[in-house]
Amino acid sequence: MSKQIKVALIGNPNTGKTSVFNSLTGLNQQVGNYPGITVERKAGVCKLPKGVKAHILDLPGTYSLNASSLDESVVIELLLNANDKDYPDVAVVVTDVENLKRNLLLFTQIKDLNIPSILVINMSDRMRKKGISLDIEHLEAELKTKVALTSTRKNEGIDLLKNLISNYKSLSTDACLDISQIESSYFGNLQRIFPNQQLYKLWLVITQDVNFGQVTKKKIDALSDFKVKSDTKLKRLQQKETIKRYQFINAVLKKGKTVDLNAATDLRIKLDRILTHKVWGYVIFFSLLMLIFQAIYDWAQYPMDFIDETFAALSELVKTTLPAGVFTDLIAEGIIPGLGGVVIFIPQIAFLFLFIAILEESGYMSRVVFLMDKLMRRFGLSGKSVVPLISGTACAIPAVMATRNIEGWKERLITILVTPFTTCSARLPVYLIIIALVIPEGSFLGLSYQALMLMFLYLLGFGMAVGSAYILHKVLKIRSKSFFLIEMPDYKVPQFKNVGITVVEKTKAFVFGAGQIILAISIILWFLASYGPGDDFNKAEEIVTENLSSLELSEEELNQRIASYQLEHSYIGIAGRSIEPVIQPLGYDWKIGIAIITSFAAREVFVGTLATIYSVESEEGEPIKEKMRGERNAKLGVPRYNLASGMSLLLFYAFAMQCMSTLAIVKRETNSWKWPMYQLVVMTSIAYLAALIAYQTLI
Amino acid sequence: MTLADLKRGQVAIIKDVSSPYIPLKLLEMGCLPGNQARLMMVAPFSDPLYLNINDTHLAIRKETAVHIQIELSNE
Amino acid sequence: MNDIIQNILVFTSVGIAVYFLLKKFVIPAKATKSCGHDDCGCH
Repeated sequence: MSKQIKVALIGNPNTGKTSVFNSLTGLNQQVGNYPGITVERKAGVCKLPKGVKAHILDLPGTYSLNASSLDESVVIELLLNANDKDYPDVAVVVTDVENLKRNLLLFTQIKDLNIPSILVINMSDRMRKKGISLDIEHLEAELKTKVALTSTRKNEGIDLLKNLISNYKSLSTDACLDISQIESSYFGNLQRIFPNQQLYKLWLVITQDVNFGQVTKKKIDALSDFKVKSDTKLKRLQQKETIKRYQFINAVLKKGKTVDLNAATDLRIKLDRILTHKVWGYVIFFSLLMLIFQAIYDWAQYPMDFIDETFAALSELVKTTLPAGVFTDLIAEGIIPGLGGVVIFIPQIAFLFLFIAILEESGYMSRVVFLMDKLMRRFGLSGKSVVPLISGTACAIPAVMATRNIEGWKERLITILVTPFTTCSARLPVYLIIIALVIPEGSFLGLSYQALMLMFLYLLGFGMAVGSAYILHKVLKIRSKSFFLIEMPDYKVPQFKNVGITVVEKTKAFVFGAGQIILAISIILWFLASYGPGDDFNKAEEIVTENLSSLELSEEELNQRIASYQLEHSYIGIAGRSIEPVIQPLGYDWKIGIAIITSFAAREVFVGTLATIYSVESEEGEPIKEKMRGERNAKLGVPRYNLASGMSLLLFYAFAMQCMSTLAIVKRETNSWKWPMYQLVVMTSIAYLAALIAYQTLI
Repeated sequence: MTLADLKRGQVAIIKDVSSPYIPLKLLEMGCLPGNQARLMMVAPFSDPLYLNINDTHLAIRKETAVHIQIELSNE
Repeated sequence: MNDIIQNILVFTSVGIAVYFLLKKFVIPAKATKSCGHDDCGCH
């Protein structure tokens, strides 16, 4: 059996920890969740010399072991629990050479847990430009560790790091700080009661509300000596601890790091002055948003049309080549159109994640937060709500998770509640197809009506989000300590590799996550549409032929009528017609009704469902858009998808909470069913009313 | 004098951070007595403040800054 | 013969699809533990 080493990658946000992870593991990584919680768990394998394998766990970025969010508590839970299967043999602490002082705080804390640790000083390529020089030997001696000076941009130092990892057994496990220095009487007492435990671990258990091994917080609390320490007193001790740590770090760095200010050229100030300017700052931000929407709408159109036609052709090919029968029908009418409905998403998702990754990587996102905070606060939101609202244009799920770094609970809750109003990418296929069907061609000031309509829908989403935030801000009676703190990292040119990996990983996760569900739903739908109870379904051919015998119909037309009749009496047709009274005032027929119900799993299923239903009904393999164009509203003698019903559908999808996964994530993040249920009821009611008004006024 | 009274470009030495309204996280970022703070930029509508504290660049709201006691430095 | 095989395949696919959806949406909902009433979620 080959040797295996467990490595935990730890570091402050913005230190390039993920780049180090990518350099070590390449595409050899798996993204999942920690059991029971939604914190992303990234793990990968790295091959070391002599056939040794390193299992690398990329822990969430954290500023210290004093956790203030769920993501951060993952780190401390793991490091305190030696029985955890992920408990590392060696900790690799990633720091940024420019912020070494602050980054070392976390390093000293990890050293104090007696875990063998390697110090990675990253971004060494920026040293010369900033006039920084390091005395590595001095740092290694004082910090009792081994240092790897790396630059992921230039791919330097990674081999050294791999070597250090394979020789982890020679690392010192001595602590940096004697924790009892903080207050000798208090810590002396603690040690007397728990003689076999390490003091710093005990201290973390007391302050953090975590447990390790046999010592739990309750156990410590039960001993009266320690109960008397009030929160303010504990906080004062934590403050003292922090000061002690910085004293130690400052002493180490005095000789270990020198900065020649004359050599430093500061691009940061110049860029900040423009990007956070009271006029240009907003102009640049909104221009960037416009560019992103342009990319999603315009550039993604070409690959999407191609995908649409390819799947229609594929379906046709299957029908002609495979032996005729029900299973062939299932593939051609159920599975292929269903899958096409997912694959068609890839270009848009990829574009969105590309832009978001670039904005994050470059350091620009922090400036947006800074720029928007005061404005957002008027609506009961935080500057940090901008990030979820923007990533909400990709998908509400990561967006709701991105609210975690909002410190105030009220601001965070409001952000979670209003984020699903932003136009996520799952609404796009619905919007695009309806817009193409009902909005006339033509242009206004060089912008096509269709593009304007899409832009209006995006603005409507943002407007609803901000407007309802304002109402919630006034209505919700929640007192919460709110403070706001954000690091302003230096600007960096995004690394192609990092951005690429993010885009590939996120797109893959989206396609496979949604893809499986859509595939399953399309199979079931096809089944329900192709089978039915009783004579009406099974003897459809005879019934229709008899009823229409007086009319002189061509064979093709007759077959069409039979198929429609059969569909109407299939299981799905029966279900659909039973809800028709509810949706008829909105201008929908039962087929659209079914699509609305199934799209509750995920909005994009709407198009897939209609594709399946219309495929069962018709023989020719034409793109779904053409099939929809051919649908008629028999009662009124107009196309089924006209301006009135189209607007009604667009508004319905703009407001309705049509996504099970989002509800599930909101439940997890707010820890109660109350909030997702409010969302579901309120948003769906607004959607129904808006759609009703639109249809009744336009018809 | 508090951090909220600084003008753009001014440098100060932090004196006292014992107010309960100051989060531990801010202290961990280096906002500790004796350390230097420089006001880099003020956001439009005069809030939040963009500071350089002990070589760390960060932004906080005025409502937090008013609890941090400082003394102007002649640098 | 072809008809029977195709029918078997259809029913198996539908069965798998139903099982998959149930597993995805019904079972995890029951498995979620409650995590107290504080803001910071499960520990």
